[in-house]
Amino acid sequence: MNIPPVEPGTVGPCPVAPDALQGIKRQQTNPARWNGAGWQAFVADLRTAGVELAESRAACGAYATDAGGTAYGQPHGVAIARSAGEVAALLRTAQAHRVPVTVRGGGLTTEGESVAYGGVLLDMTGMSRVLAIDATALTVRVEAGIYWHSLAEELRREKLDYLSAPLNLTSSVGGTLGVGGIDVNSARLGCSADQALSLQVVTPTGEIVECSDTENVELFQRVILGYGQFGVITEATLRVRPYTPLSMHYYYYSSLRTAIEDLQMLDRNDASDYSGILTIMDCAVNLLVAFDSDEREAAFRRDWEARLRGHGEFGFALCMLGHYALRPWKAGEALYLLKRKQAVFPEFRRPEYMRDNKMHDRSVVFSRAVWKHWGSRNMVIPDLATPADKFVAAVERGNAVCRKFFAHYTLYCVGIKLRPEHRPHYEMSCVPPDAEGWAYGCEFEPMIEGEVYSRDHFQAFKNAIYDIGVDLGASYYRFGGMMKGYIRRTFGDELVDKHLAMKRRADPAMILNRDVIF
Amino acid sequence: MAAAPFDHARCSGCSLCRLVCPMWRQHRDPRFSPEGLARARQCDATAAELTAPLEACSLCGACDPVCPEGIDLSGMVMELRRDLSPALPYRQALDALQAKFALAAAAAEAPAAGALFLPGPALRAHPSLLARVKTLLGYACATDDGADIALALETGGEISPARRRRFLDGLDGRTLAVGDGLLLRQLRQWLPGARLQSLGAALASLMPIRRRIASTDFYVIEPRAYHADYERLVAYYDRLRAETGCALNLDLQRIAMPALTQALPHLAGPLVDADVAQARWMLQGRTPQRIVVESLADRAAFERVCDIPVLHLAELAQD
Repeated sequence: MNIPPVEPGTVGPCPVAPDALQGIKRQQTNPARWNGAGWQAFVADLRTAGVELAESRAACGAYATDAGGTAYGQPHGVAIARSAGEVAALLRTAQAHRVPVTVRGGGLTTEGESVAYGGVLLDMTGMSRVLAIDATALTVRVEAGIYWHSLAEELRREKLDYLSAPLNLTSSVGGTLGVGGIDVNSARLGCSADQALSLQVVTPTGEIVECSDTENVELFQRVILGYGQFGVITEATLRVRPYTPLSMHYYYYSSLRTAIEDLQMLDRNDASDYSGILTIMDCAVNLLVAFDSDEREAAFRRDWEARLRGHGEFGFALCMLGHYALRPWKAGEALYLLKRKQAVFPEFRRPEYMRDNKMHDRSVVFSRAVWKHWGSRNMVIPDLATPADKFVAAVERGNAVCRKFFAHYTLYCVGIKLRPEHRPHYEMSCVPPDAEGWAYGCEFEPMIEGEVYSRDHFQAFKNAIYDIGVDLGASYYRFGGMMKGYIRRTFGDELVDKHLAMKRRADPAMILNRDVIF
Repeated sequence: MAAAPFDHARCSGCSLCRLVCPMWRQHRDPRFSPEGLARARQCDATAAELTAPLEACSLCGACDPVCPEGIDLSGMVMELRRDLSPALPYRQALDALQAKFALAAAAAEAPAAGALFLPGPALRAHPSLLARVKTLLGYACATDDGADIALALETGGEISPARRRRFLDGLDGRTLAVGDGLLLRQLRQWLPGARLQSLGAALASLMPIRRRIASTDFYVIEPRAYHADYERLVAYYDRLRAETGCALNLDLQRIAMPALTQALPHLAGPLVDADVAQARWMLQGRTPQRIVVESLADRAAFERVCDIPVLHLAELAQD
């Protein structure tokens, strides 16, 4: 290796200097650990205020990373949220002592957003009870640390279900409302954040405030999809609906573009209750379509099914057989497809979740499959969120990036119905500013499969995906934490500075979820 | 699912075990969950530092089948309890109880040939029910049913190799119906050639019992045995539900909710409200006409929280 000599007493040119990347302002994305100044005085005041704080190695170590598994940091102490009053006392004291507070629900962030680099980690799962179910008004009031799955367990006793939630059992309600939340019914019902009717929020300065579309409107707009910058959600009132099992149909495509076009056709025409794309490979694309009622299913079969260009399982298997018979040098690819099919498909048809050909408890079925077949210590899932018309280009370009970086990967695509009256909620969020009617999201998830990749490899992959977003004028679901370098590139200085000014007013010491966005 | 070797290092913090953990449900504190224990062990926490959650765990085994990494989480708790055990202030009382069971086992006759039934101390304390179970199953009843070993497994007590050998001698390769779910779990490892059945599944398979399970019943599966043989039993009980129409104590993940969650220090003591909170939660929003239990301990829990009839499975069969 040729290492250029450096004269003693001089420092060579810095490759990460502020002017190193032309046209891009340098921004620190890997947070520095907070230095702990004044920690003991803070702890003393906090204990006087009656807030329990755990400082042991075991207590703090449990939060060393998030679902992403690439960002690591430890808090100085952990507080388990028990009430809005305690959270308020914690934030007031932290504000006075300028101690950073990182809020964590299910810890399913992937860019270190729920990892504390010093300061306090506030674990919201201590507040995880259902407070009231109104089966007549179809609403539920919950503590915000509750997992969506725990909520589903309680709603089911009343024959109810939530509207839409991430297909992951351990996402928390509060965390999801703060970032979005997509489901395979989001093309019809919108993102999870749009289900919230009202919230109880503890502001960064420790006031407990109720907010909604009619009360403390500006706070509501900023907290929903606000990445935890403007308050801690402690309670939420959500819309719910009667529980129904699903009739699920799968269609298989060898072309991403065709599958996406068909997905968007179904969404535009309200032809199904659930729709989404999940790929095994880019030549084996699964469009899933599902229904809450026999009537909707019958209407789909009558009006729309014939227009889909995908095949059933048997027909697609024949196509693949023909494809690989002519390309014997791709036998390895065919073998992978077969193995993957044998491993994954039965998970979606486990008999204990199927009754009368209907799938019960879809979130359990999907979440278990996700953790079993996609989960690992590193969950690297960059994504792109675009208006409908840019989506095919975004996915095709993202697919090319995946091919370059990983042997195998999965793409998960869904539509998200937008609520025009919630446009202010969407400002500087995962919802692209120019999306009308629907936004579309694609997650690009490499299959780690026991391989060891460097953090640099993952980061380069994420950057390559996010660069597509910048180029297309898209947005992202996971733009915080380690990816926050993209925030100004995506949203522009004017909008980011507007939100930064609001943040400074709401959180003078900038203690709440520091380094996630700002 | 076959339990993988105990390996807390593989825990990636997905929190799926929390969703099914009664200890977590009671405390709402991540330290009181299998994940919390595994993560703490990753940070070199000792058993002594984890005393409170180790005592609070009821070893229901719900966490084992949901762990995507296949970590033997119950095994982890049992191993940590063995480390913790000598320092427990109530260890002497537990040892005395274990010695009492061991003494009874020492006087036991050699097991009869053929299929065997290992009832456990709870059923032995009800001679008429025990006699009914024996008649229904048609199995010989082992006089040494390993009650001392089951207690040691639960409390982290010591099991001498000689005692273990004597208990297991002649059992491998036979059909065994086991009343204690934790012992059954262990026997699956110790006796790979045995045909092991939980008492609940063995009884529920008998037509005189099965046809008396009604659609208005709330059927309570004994969770330890169920989770120890999850992949097979999830299908078995789904068939039972489909055939009888009864409601089961399964959550949305098809994990059996335990009715009783006694912490280690209160194991032999009277039930308190916290012990039966799960039983109360299981009945929330449900209006069964009768509760049918596989385990006598669960009967005690339900009798404390409701006024509807609670029957042991064997009591369903007509005389």
